[in-house]
Amino acid sequence: MDPFYLALSLFRRRKYDKCIDVCTSILEKQSLDQAVWCLKMRAMTQRIYVDDIESEEIPENDFLEDNAVATAPRPGTSMKTSQPPKTGALGSRPRTATGRPISGVSRPGTQNRPGTALDRLRTARPVTGQSARAIRLGTAAMLSQKEGPFIQVSRLNLAKYAKKSRTYLFYHEGDVRNAMELAVQATQYCDFKDWWWKVQLAKCYVALNLIREAEQQLRSVLKQHYHVESFIRLTRIYIRLDQPLSAMEICKSGVEVFPKDVSIMTELARLTEALNDTSTSVKYYRTIVIEDAMNTEAIACIGMYHFYNHQPELALRYYRRVLAMGAHSVELYNNLGLCCLYSQQLDLTYPCFQRALELATDPLVRAEVWYNLSHLAIAAGDMELAIRCLTLSISLDKTHASAYNNLAVLHHKTGNANLVKAYLTSAKELEPDLVEPQINLGLLQTAE
Amino acid sequence: MSETAPLKPILKSNPQIMLEDAAELVLCKPRLIPLKSFTLEKLEKMQQEAEKARQQVNSDQNE
Repeated sequence: MDPFYLALSLFRRRKYDKCIDVCTSILEKQSLDQAVWCLKMRAMTQRIYVDDIESEEIPENDFLEDNAVATAPRPGTSMKTSQPPKTGALGSRPRTATGRPISGVSRPGTQNRPGTALDRLRTARPVTGQSARAIRLGTAAMLSQKEGPFIQVSRLNLAKYAKKSRTYLFYHEGDVRNAMELAVQATQYCDFKDWWWKVQLAKCYVALNLIREAEQQLRSVLKQHYHVESFIRLTRIYIRLDQPLSAMEICKSGVEVFPKDVSIMTELARLTEALNDTSTSVKYYRTIVIEDAMNTEAIACIGMYHFYNHQPELALRYYRRVLAMGAHSVELYNNLGLCCLYSQQLDLTYPCFQRALELATDPLVRAEVWYNLSHLAIAAGDMELAIRCLTLSISLDKTHASAYNNLAVLHHKTGNANLVKAYLTSAKELEPDLVEPQINLGLLQTAE
Repeated sequence: MSETAPLKPILKSNPQIMLEDAAELVLCKPRLIPLKSFTLEKLEKMQQEAEKARQQVNSDQNE
């Protein structure tokens, strides 16, 4: 078989590693074959390609961030001062440590918690908008090449090469500066008329934390050509600038151009959820589910909405749908267990939690599962077991404020008064925004 | 006591309800864990592979 045909076929079947090997062996014989060279580059890019709109990390609570427009924004105009939920503090769902309500799906950027071991590992704030993860992937990809880098980027005459090598630069080498130079050259070459290059330029600007320049590029893109990606990228930029209302406006104009487009609607739903407007967000998610019945994010978010709205039976139905779609993870089994517990399907509760514990490897997730198991013990009236579960949870995650609070309450019930206050204060110190320890401390003080 | 007088219900026109409100400490709610999105799973998998590749290269260099 012709080796180039084999390489192409391997590329199509997404066997990138083998494809790269075949290309290398061809290039050893004919080192000037442009088609093979191009294919190898594509394969190397595709091997570590991730949807970078989805994987973009938006730094939360970054006090050094100087891109935000207002330093003291009015309520409702910023993510930090979003309106509190209308149902009252105790009726709402729990929040993450950064103060956002927890969401049905964890995305990059929403998952890290300040104070955890993971967060402490990052000693300094990231200088660029590029995530540490992206850089690490890039270096690892380079390390795995024993014969040295495939393209000597610094020696290239950038004006000569086009589109494909840009994606290679951006994803594989993580070399944003050169990628940007290439994009600038290309935009000039097209007389500033090609929207694709402008989007790429904006991407580079975002990675270099030059938000305002990126905004300019994307604005000019939207004047030329409507594309879902440009709408979403512009929305992200406004979220970075902490202007949720402008972001919402962009999304809405996007929906007008592309009615019922799933990705723009998802963006809108996430935004409203982050602004504490869960009922509107669920409305968007419902439209998404009508459009795309396999959308895990939408199903999970609707499920979570029902759970914290005192309808665990409905939540159970949604999570079971996710299970039926083939997902098999700790998180899912834990959620199913909780839904079963609160919708009185007790026979299924234990097996669900058992599965969750079997699958859990990450200590933080294990801590969550033990924390939820303590609720099962409390429901069964077994205080001893509940206290043990909570102790386990704390031993796995020392920053679990809710576990400290519940441990305090249980010790209060069993009459172990001297521990109560200590646990409550540590809960309050760990998560100052958490309502329950504050209420409990207040109650203790009035009782004294 | 063959004849019993019919019982008269005692109803006050302006009743007061006495409730002893024993304040109880509040438990935190159970937490549903957010599911992992497809992209996040892929990222984590790639990160693990990258880590493995790095360790492989390191051990090769040491030998």
